[in-house]
Amino acid sequence: MKKQLFFQSAVVSTILSYLLIFVGGLVRVSGSGMGCPDWPKCFGRWIPPTNIDQIPSYIDATSFNIVLAWIEYGNRSLGVLVGFSIIVLNIIAIYYFRKETKLLVSAILSLILVGANGVLGAIVVSSILNPFLVSLHMILALMLVSVLSYACIESYKLINIEKFKGLEINRSLSNSLIIFWIFIVIEILLGTGIRTNLELVSIENPLLSKGELLNALDSYKYFHSFLGFTLLFLSVYIYSQLRENKLYITRFLGIFILGMIVVQIFLGEMMIFFELPQLTRLFHMWGSSWLVGVIIILYNCIGNEYAK
Amino acid sequence: MNTLNKKLIIAFFSVLILGIIGLFTIDQATQSRINNLSIISEVPSFELDNFDGIPFTEKKLDNKITVASFIFTQCEGACPIMSTNMGLLQKRFSDSDILQFVSITTDPDYDSSNILKEFSDKYSTKNNWFFLRGDINDVVKLSEDGFFLSASLLPVGHSTRLILIDKDRNIRKYYEGTVDANIVELQNDIVTLIKQG
Repeated sequence: MKKQLFFQSAVVSTILSYLLIFVGGLVRVSGSGMGCPDWPKCFGRWIPPTNIDQIPSYIDATSFNIVLAWIEYGNRSLGVLVGFSIIVLNIIAIYYFRKETKLLVSAILSLILVGANGVLGAIVVSSILNPFLVSLHMILALMLVSVLSYACIESYKLINIEKFKGLEINRSLSNSLIIFWIFIVIEILLGTGIRTNLELVSIENPLLSKGELLNALDSYKYFHSFLGFTLLFLSVYIYSQLRENKLYITRFLGIFILGMIVVQIFLGEMMIFFELPQLTRLFHMWGSSWLVGVIIILYNCIGNEYAK
Repeated sequence: MNTLNKKLIIAFFSVLILGIIGLFTIDQATQSRINNLSIISEVPSFELDNFDGIPFTEKKLDNKITVASFIFTQCEGACPIMSTNMGLLQKRFSDSDILQFVSITTDPDYDSSNILKEFSDKYSTKNNWFFLRGDINDVVKLSEDGFFLSASLLPVGHSTRLILIDKDRNIRKYYEGTVDANIVELQNDIVTLIKQG
């Protein structure tokens, strides 16, 4: 019962955090980051103005755009909601699971990460969206969902010990999952680097076209594609190893990873060759965040302490 | 239907709904940027002189996107920041021949053509930035009646706002010339106007 409570609380926090990453990405691709020029308030108000007359006289209203303000406000309020859900998770962890180190540490770590990212959000706004800081803001969010995914799977295992008992240990699969996760992290850092540099170049050269911007990047942009295809081969291998697995969840996650890599490559190429770049960018970023969490869950299913 | 299929269908529709919300939000944001650039009013006719003595009238605004400001060269507070920011934009858009810059002195008694030329050398790197002077009454009239910007206790009391004017001589938006966030916004709005053609 208590374990169930922790598990449910962790799942809610994880799903909300993934939604937050989506909304945060939406803020970036729609260019709404400066929708509220102040922090934590928005044009001096806790609820953003719906009309320019509501802005207090001591705040300059020239940059007021109601749509951008509410998009940015959506990101902030969802962030607060995630914060509350993680506080609840911590209360459960401290109250019932002081001796379960894995649950307690992951809960506390997620609280630290969400707090730190809130503060970083304020710095992002005061830096007028410095592309480095915006990317760092996303990377901290990825660390948050990684820790929360870990909390989910560890509490799930506590509830379903029977399922995990007596499973075969597959060392090469565990190792390839570690390599896969490291590659994914490198791949995300490369992708983030490409985006950061595109934004930096475009601030200095606002009239460059998409093609010219891509040309202005170093050759490491090819490395991002190359590593993407490497990940495809690795995910095929992982899928083949998991196909016969006794646990339903691991079989499912094997398919999920393979499918997600294919989708990611497709979205990545779409961004280069087709229009509608903003929505594609958003899902490309969001998909990568799912991979990070899913691999952590999968790894902890396979290499679990209840196996033989 | 088993629970897996149900979950997959829920997942599929959740992603679809998020996609639609995303598309809608991105579209709204793009639209709002254009709407925020709605026409405020038309720049009235005026006649001032550039520092090289060539007259500059409202006709020079036609078919150009113009960023305008009121400054004076002895000003120590806002004007250097405003002018540095305009210089930054001039540099960033140096490939564009549709963008131009105009700074009007609120101290024509002191700011002779030569002094304006020196000021220009300090901040401007291209010949698309005009530094204008004229009769102080004309300048006050242009600021107050043309641009709706207060101009009392000159030269110090000039507005610190930058004015964005489109190629049909319409005032589109104002920006606080000393606030970095507003300069970023001005840069984005210039891109929007240039792309609109």
